[in-house]
Amino acid sequence: MRFRSSLALSLLALLPGPAWAQTAPVEGLRDNTPQVHALTGARIVVAPGNVIENGTLVIRDGVIEAVGARVTPPADARIWDLSGRTLFAGFIDVYSDVGMPKPSAEREDSARGPIAWNPQIRAHVDAAAELSADDARVQALRAQGFTVAMAVPRVGMFRGRTAVVGLGDGPVRDRVVRSGVAHAVTLQRDNSFGFGYPTSAMGAVAFIRQTLHDADWHMRAWAAYNRNPAGLRRPEMNAALAALAPALRGEQPIVFEARTDEEVLRILAIAREFSITPWIRASGYEYRLVDALSGLRAPLIVPVAYPDVPNVERPEAALNVSLADLRHWYRAPENPGRLAAAGLTFALTADGLDDRSKFLPNVRLAVRRGLSPDAALAALTTIPARYLGLERTHGTLEAGKVANIVVADGNPFTDSVAIRDVWIDGRRYEVTPAPAVDPRGQWNVVASGDRRIEGRLTLEGTPERLSGSFSSTGGEVRLGSARLWNETRRLQVSFPASAVGGEGVVRLSFTVSGDALYGWGEMPDGTRLTWKGTRTRTAASEPAGGAERRNGTGDVASTTTTANLTLPEIRPAMEYGRPSAPEQPEYVLVRNATIWTMGPDGIIQGGDLLVRRGKIERIGRNLEAPRGAVVIDAAGKHVTPGLIDPHLHSGVSGAVNEMGSAIVPEVRIGDVLTMDNIWMYRQLAGGLTTAHIMHGSANPIGGQNQVVKMRWGALPEEMRFEGAPRTVKFALGENVKRRTGRYPDTRMGTEQIIRDHFKAALDYRQAWQEWERGDKRGIPPRRDLRMDALVDILEGRIQIMSHSYRQDEILMLIRLAEEFGAKVRAFHHTVEGYKVASEIARHGAAAVVWSDWGGFKIEAYDNTTFNARVLHEAGVLTSLHSDDSQIASRMNWEAAKMLRTGLSEEQALALVTINPAKILGIADRVGSLEPGKDADFVIWSGSPLSTYAKAEQTWVDGRKYFDLEEDRRLREEIDRERAKLIQLALERRGGRGGER
Amino acid sequence: MRQATGVDRKVSGAGSGGLMRAKSRWARRGMTAVVAGLLAFGASAAEAQIPAPRQARPIALTGGTIHTVTQGTIENGTIVFENGRITAIGRNVEIPPGAERVDITGKHVYPGLIDGYSALGLFEIGGFTQTIDLNELGPINPNVRAEVAFNPESRHIGVARSNGVLVTLSSPEGGLISGLAAAMMLDGWTWEEMALKRAAGLIVLWPNPSNERRYESDLRTLREAFAAAKAYRKAQQAAERGGRRHDTDSRWEAMIPVIEGKVPVIVQANELRQIQDAITWAEEEGVRLVIRGGRDAWYVADHLREKQIPVLITNVLDSPDRQWEPYDGRYGLARRLHEAGVRFAIAGASSAAYENRLPYEAGAAAAYGLPAAEALKAVTLYPAQILGLDDRVGSLEPGKDATLLITTGDPLEYSTIIEQAYIQGRKLDMMDQHKEFFEKYMEKIRQARPRT
Repeated sequence: MRFRSSLALSLLALLPGPAWAQTAPVEGLRDNTPQVHALTGARIVVAPGNVIENGTLVIRDGVIEAVGARVTPPADARIWDLSGRTLFAGFIDVYSDVGMPKPSAEREDSARGPIAWNPQIRAHVDAAAELSADDARVQALRAQGFTVAMAVPRVGMFRGRTAVVGLGDGPVRDRVVRSGVAHAVTLQRDNSFGFGYPTSAMGAVAFIRQTLHDADWHMRAWAAYNRNPAGLRRPEMNAALAALAPALRGEQPIVFEARTDEEVLRILAIAREFSITPWIRASGYEYRLVDALSGLRAPLIVPVAYPDVPNVERPEAALNVSLADLRHWYRAPENPGRLAAAGLTFALTADGLDDRSKFLPNVRLAVRRGLSPDAALAALTTIPARYLGLERTHGTLEAGKVANIVVADGNPFTDSVAIRDVWIDGRRYEVTPAPAVDPRGQWNVVASGDRRIEGRLTLEGTPERLSGSFSSTGGEVRLGSARLWNETRRLQVSFPASAVGGEGVVRLSFTVSGDALYGWGEMPDGTRLTWKGTRTRTAASEPAGGAERRNGTGDVASTTTTANLTLPEIRPAMEYGRPSAPEQPEYVLVRNATIWTMGPDGIIQGGDLLVRRGKIERIGRNLEAPRGAVVIDAAGKHVTPGLIDPHLHSGVSGAVNEMGSAIVPEVRIGDVLTMDNIWMYRQLAGGLTTAHIMHGSANPIGGQNQVVKMRWGALPEEMRFEGAPRTVKFALGENVKRRTGRYPDTRMGTEQIIRDHFKAALDYRQAWQEWERGDKRGIPPRRDLRMDALVDILEGRIQIMSHSYRQDEILMLIRLAEEFGAKVRAFHHTVEGYKVASEIARHGAAAVVWSDWGGFKIEAYDNTTFNARVLHEAGVLTSLHSDDSQIASRMNWEAAKMLRTGLSEEQALALVTINPAKILGIADRVGSLEPGKDADFVIWSGSPLSTYAKAEQTWVDGRKYFDLEEDRRLREEIDRERAKLIQLALERRGGRGGER
Repeated sequence: MRQATGVDRKVSGAGSGGLMRAKSRWARRGMTAVVAGLLAFGASAAEAQIPAPRQARPIALTGGTIHTVTQGTIENGTIVFENGRITAIGRNVEIPPGAERVDITGKHVYPGLIDGYSALGLFEIGGFTQTIDLNELGPINPNVRAEVAFNPESRHIGVARSNGVLVTLSSPEGGLISGLAAAMMLDGWTWEEMALKRAAGLIVLWPNPSNERRYESDLRTLREAFAAAKAYRKAQQAAERGGRRHDTDSRWEAMIPVIEGKVPVIVQANELRQIQDAITWAEEEGVRLVIRGGRDAWYVADHLREKQIPVLITNVLDSPDRQWEPYDGRYGLARRLHEAGVRFAIAGASSAAYENRLPYEAGAAAAYGLPAAEALKAVTLYPAQILGLDDRVGSLEPGKDATLLITTGDPLEYSTIIEQAYIQGRKLDMMDQHKEFFEKYMEKIRQARPRT
């Protein structure tokens, strides 16, 4: 049925006549069919909240000439009786791939045109120029009421400029409303260009930054050159960078596509950095961020693509569905309503839906889940018109506006009603043709001829889908088939001949004329008869156009369970997420504990720890509890500083390696921290409170790392350790030479590529210094974020943290750094560090090592558990690290392993507390329990170095982020919430647990 | 060309290795005295990793606390062993004449730890396939035997012993039927000497249920293998009774003891469906089943208990695979099974390089609720019972092997030093590669220090 109706739609759409042609010569005869229409008798929603109950709308030559309750149709108008219908302004989709070539369908010739070095930069592409008139997606959008869409190029990361196009048929030149509307940019690399830079999410952020800087430089370089080219080296002519210039000047918006709520935050950060107002194609997850987005002025474009119902039919399969997924499945339809409730304005888009016919059903679901129908209408009409600068021509049904109109059987935002037609530029496109005749009812049918037969034909169902029966002398039979052809008004039925006392099938064919049928048919024996029918009764009519509902377009009635289920707001929106940051009491007093201060006071037996507003106030014995203090009796317990892991990779969106280039210090882990990271909770449960989140080891010079505090439930940016020194990852040995076809292939080459980049950074610094000292009249130097980072490294503003295994490479980097007057802050892993412990000590580097890792590759074969011990004996500041999300959740046991190497208990615990704090340059804040430091501490059931001990409470900033008791309660809540959501999902999947 | 010289160097290195090593050992002897203060294990450093000779005369360890595991703890007790077997344990034990008396006052004696899941001897360096002999080609390899590929020279052996691990079930991996695992004692010149029990279990990797169609077809393959083996046995029996001769099939031949219930089937199964389905399968096949892995075992604890299926719990020091599960799901699995009355042991995570972590795996289970005595049994008596080694190892009882540890305390506790170990009465060299590097490079530091 669905297929049939869309076929009919394309057949019935009016062909645009050459009357529209403005420049094309007319071949043959002209078409001057009058383009004047009066739509009468309809309910007209002029704008959200502005309704004319029974009005007339007049269209003349594509524009609304008049609209109102008392408008008289002009004498030259064709009258359309639309009584019973509702008219809305045509919907506008601000983010669409309509007319755009399929991604990766076309790969341009890299030798053609002044294009950018990186194929991801395609800012010169113009959607209007690329737009294809031949695209079935147009009809799918019209069927949902859309009349105008912004076509967004979909290839690359800087994708080009968008264009607003009408969704009528006809040549592109007649449909383009505006071109060059906005630049389209995405934070997701386009894989169709191979595995080049950027390969990671953080690389993508750095790449966008650099490209915006480059566009700025391109603009200024050419301005300088054009002023006075004599004696100047001509800047490169880069069409993509040139195309970005208006955006940088604030004359053209940039529409960013976000795939997650966290990408929205990243987009906003980029926008702040470059003082641009972005448009954001949202991800559908924004309901989790409404607090962070409140006050947002950037235009938002919100999809209504919801996740599929989770697969929970089998209990074993349901075990593997996370609460995060269940929650998002349930809450996704709330997204538009929650944004509206937070006072944010937004447009709705059909983008992201694989099946566009789900658009209106999904909008209705959003309406049932809190979005007002008027807000839905505004999000499809007035708001997008404003975003696109079309408010004078589009978005409402006021006189003077373009005649873009949706004709529906009612309100499609509240009820599953048919969209009958859309009008675009004053032309009518049928979506769901209304049946011209309705043959339903009871008919007395008489066959003439020598075998006169009388019978009663009953037709039921809808005109689009008829059924019924025929009864005569042989009894009553169900019709084998019954079908009405709308334009011809022909009705065809067949039924078993038993009804007339024969065998075989009787086929009848009629033309329907009011309450009369005229037709003929053939009996099974070949006898032909002439028939006549007269209607005796009209069927109790079912509303026409109900097909949509029965076809199961995903429109699901809300159930009582749904209505009753309110999920608490938590962050992150997953297992163990919190409704808010834990309270920070004015005072906390931990009493009678064995306190490992890890500071000058050593271990205090029977000690008290007093915390005030997140800072340690005092440590001693028999401290008095201030009024209102939270007092914790920790008799028999041990208290240590929060553990610190100086080498961890969890909590990063996307890959931790930017593989696209060997030297990438411009990329930053801090740009892509993620809060949806269950490991953080688990790590808190093991007493970890601070971690150094590191770039991977695929690059001789990798990206910048980020120190975070385990503020579970905070936004990514709130997790950053304020003021922690900047660090960068270096890597040596096997990992950096593993990538085929990329320099280096040897440890020799590794030394050279680092050296060469150090030299390049010095040259770059020199060039800038000369520019700053000079008259600034030539071509300005280009701002190079990679070189900026290298200069910062050489000048000590970014500290080197180098992955290393073998002693040769450790020594190499020491000598190389010394040659440039630089320092390696710490060698990480440094499995053979013990072999050059004295050399490391003399350089002043620290060591960050494993307890007992080794043997997993050839360069890790000479590992020894005594590594930390030897380094310690040589005077190297040494710490342990996990390099593993799980191990990071039990660093106390990693430290405990060192007891067998002869280190003392305090020396062992220092490896995961004060030593990593010193290495990271944050020992003034964390790492030991001393007055004035952050109240990051752990209460253990026994000695933290015992096999039998576990963390009972973990505090960060004087807030209790983990507690065994609370953990138990959360487990129960999670079980309850999962059970409820699974039951709901079962209902949605078709009731009684059966599979679909 | 480059490759060829690499090979040459390796060969010549191996040839002169003995000399080099003898020299450095000599040098170390002098050094050891210097570092003695730093070292808890100085005494035996000189005989680095030379397999111990057969026990020549009776040995009596006196004055220590003896943790028998099965017969309680005897303080200030004596344990006597002769010809590799324990002959007496108690407070007032007669020490045979000519016995070597070792005063271990203040020390503790424990049975050697047993790891029911190990790659030791079959794996040397990850990412370096030439050094790894775990996965044979194809899905059905019941005939491959771990012990014949066990490399006695592996570096990881000494490191494991230093943490108290004296017996490992070295197990093939890969395919559906991976091969026969062997219980290996961690000392000896050759694998023959080291094998405690060959064919201690047939390893089966239960198929992955996530793709249901694939799961069905893999299970068909597995069932078919057992059906073929049974058919083969029937045909061979018929031939023995004078029937028609049948040619040998190495695979099905190897499975006969499994079918006859003499060798258990150790099924790697973590997911709930895998565990349940393996139990039903084993019952249908009439084979002895051990579940290895057992991540979800607590969901079906009643089933396991009713069918008396033991579980070799692996990966205790891991986190749950499902976000919503408690952070200590893995740590607490042993406790749950213990409370539910399911037989279990704690095994490692199948690494050779990390074999030394076995006591920590059991320790984590203890931290999260498993009684400490149970945690100790989980790496001594229980794996011995589950693997059919309990006539020889797993507890300290007269008649059993003198495969034991002398420690400063609880071997599961991080601070404990394993000072000495014996395997079948043979006194092990407690040096290992980690300690060798330690001693060697402490010497470098000393040389680098300015002389005063």
